[in-house]
Amino acid sequence: MKAIAIHDLSVRVGTRDLVHRVSLDVSPGTWCTVIGPNGAGKTTLVEAVAGLRALASGDVSLMGKSLRTLNERARARRVSLVPQHPVVPAGMSVHDYVALGRTAYHGVLRAPRAEDRHAVESVLERVDLADFCERDVVTLSGGERQRMVLARALAQSTTIMVLDEPTTGLDLRHQMNVLELLRREVDECGLTVLATLHDLTLAGQFADRLVLLDAGEVVLDGPAGEVIRSDELAKRYEMELRVVEVNGSDVVVPVRDAPHVRRVLPTDQ
Amino acid sequence: MNANPPTTARVAWVTGATIIVLVAAAVGGLVIGPTSIGFSRVLGDVLSHLGLGHTTLTPLQSVIVWQLRAPRMVLGLLAGAMLAVAGGTYQGVFRNPLADPYLLGVAAGAGLGATIAIADVGGGLSTPSWTPLLAFAGALVAVAVTWAIGGRGLRTSTSSLILAGVAVASLFTSAQTFLQQQASVNSLARVYIWLLGSLASASWSSVTLVLPYVVICAVICLVAARALDVMSVGEDESRSLGVPVGRVRLLVVAAASLGTAAVVSAVGLIGFVGIVVPHVVRLLVGTSYRRILPISVIAGAGFLVIADTIARTVMAPSELPLGVVTALVGAPVFVFILSLRGRVAM
Repeated sequence: MKAIAIHDLSVRVGTRDLVHRVSLDVSPGTWCTVIGPNGAGKTTLVEAVAGLRALASGDVSLMGKSLRTLNERARARRVSLVPQHPVVPAGMSVHDYVALGRTAYHGVLRAPRAEDRHAVESVLERVDLADFCERDVVTLSGGERQRMVLARALAQSTTIMVLDEPTTGLDLRHQMNVLELLRREVDECGLTVLATLHDLTLAGQFADRLVLLDAGEVVLDGPAGEVIRSDELAKRYEMELRVVEVNGSDVVVPVRDAPHVRRVLPTDQ
Repeated sequence: MNANPPTTARVAWVTGATIIVLVAAAVGGLVIGPTSIGFSRVLGDVLSHLGLGHTTLTPLQSVIVWQLRAPRMVLGLLAGAMLAVAGGTYQGVFRNPLADPYLLGVAAGAGLGATIAIADVGGGLSTPSWTPLLAFAGALVAVAVTWAIGGRGLRTSTSSLILAGVAVASLFTSAQTFLQQQASVNSLARVYIWLLGSLASASWSSVTLVLPYVVICAVICLVAARALDVMSVGEDESRSLGVPVGRVRLLVVAAASLGTAAVVSAVGLIGFVGIVVPHVVRLLVGTSYRRILPISVIAGAGFLVIADTIARTVMAPSELPLGVVTALVGAPVFVFILSLRGRVAM
């Protein structure tokens, strides 16, 4: 069974398809990152998988169950979300914020049970935030804050996690920290990840698979190394890109256009 | 900026202090007034009803305490509690600190209904004894119209509902102003007295009428507090956490509006309580609605009874409008707590 099965999906705003007839499967315990230029439909696609967008046509199944048949609570037990710009409510403690991830289990009318409290404490340890649990969320640094948002998603104990640009606003070290943490969850806990990333180097280094989206349609879909080195990538970004290998990892380098040269070069082979 | 949210001990301290103020306000509401009746004599009368000792109250004093002051105090408790919890609920559900119980047109609708009843311009409908009924109906009609216009997008956003509330309130207020322009000077004065709120006409029958609305609606708001806490992270995120945002909004907005309409129909338009009490409580106990709403119930109830006691005593035998007193007392308290917050880590 596929963890995520997207079949012929279109998401429409007005008369315009932001996502057009996309089909995509993600296997359990793998990491798939959606890349593409601005306006490609990446955020719309992952929000649709998270159940936040109306499906104009087609369907999305999570662990074999159609999104259309899942209510909010059932959906929140299958897929968690790390938004690009999470709302961080001032005055809330880190512990209480992470504990919001258990809402789908105890419901909005009941207090968290012992297993919910245990799950929150366990996640706070895993993301190294146990010492911060009484702190007001707004006092955290950008990196700590992003780990906290990730912790809330992990507290949902879902098999699937959807992340929209999870490294936005973080410096390089914190970007790596967040993605390493996520990779560990995929490798050790079998989490299935569907993410969007603008940084092609990070996308290539951490994901098992890359999907290149442009104008709402899938252009390329394959193993990260292949997609990163495809000529199609430079064409879709309309710029010159080079891929160099550093310590066995691919690094995508954008090359500034020379005024007299406007061409798309193949990547280093 | 505070490093940590308020501790449990602090919340317990604030809750205890608020309860003490509430009890003191209730006792004050019974014993303070132009006719001096000591607390021990009122207590003795209560005990005599339980078969313990004899009352020292004269029949007239007994009427003053139990038929005038007591229903007035109880109605004040109910009104203050409902307005405060409704205000806090609105602020939570709309994630808007300026939200108050009158956001969706309750005040404008009730004001129009009351104006029709009181001012001598509504033909057969102009019957002062119908004021609570027409105010209640006006409030519900206004909210229903607001909902019909702006409620469609409620699953995804509250801004359309807020804007619809602004439009409907303007419309109803315009109609109300027009009727007031046509009214005689005498009836216009009575309309203004109603608009500024008063507990002067409180009776046990008005308490009985309002009580079930307040109890049911306040309980719904209190039960929704946990959902409001989750919804503080925004609509999309709370949906992704498993909250049926649209249904929760519908339920709590309906409860807060219905409870407010019931209270307003009995006591008129009392401003300030619904917006400031939840904010003061928030400053003291933090941002969780599981703390704000229950403590607002207690604080709102106590605050309104204190305000009413002031309203009916400082210029006795005449009374100050209750809405004027709530603002005069509440604004300095609010500013004081705000300034305290700036100086002391709260």
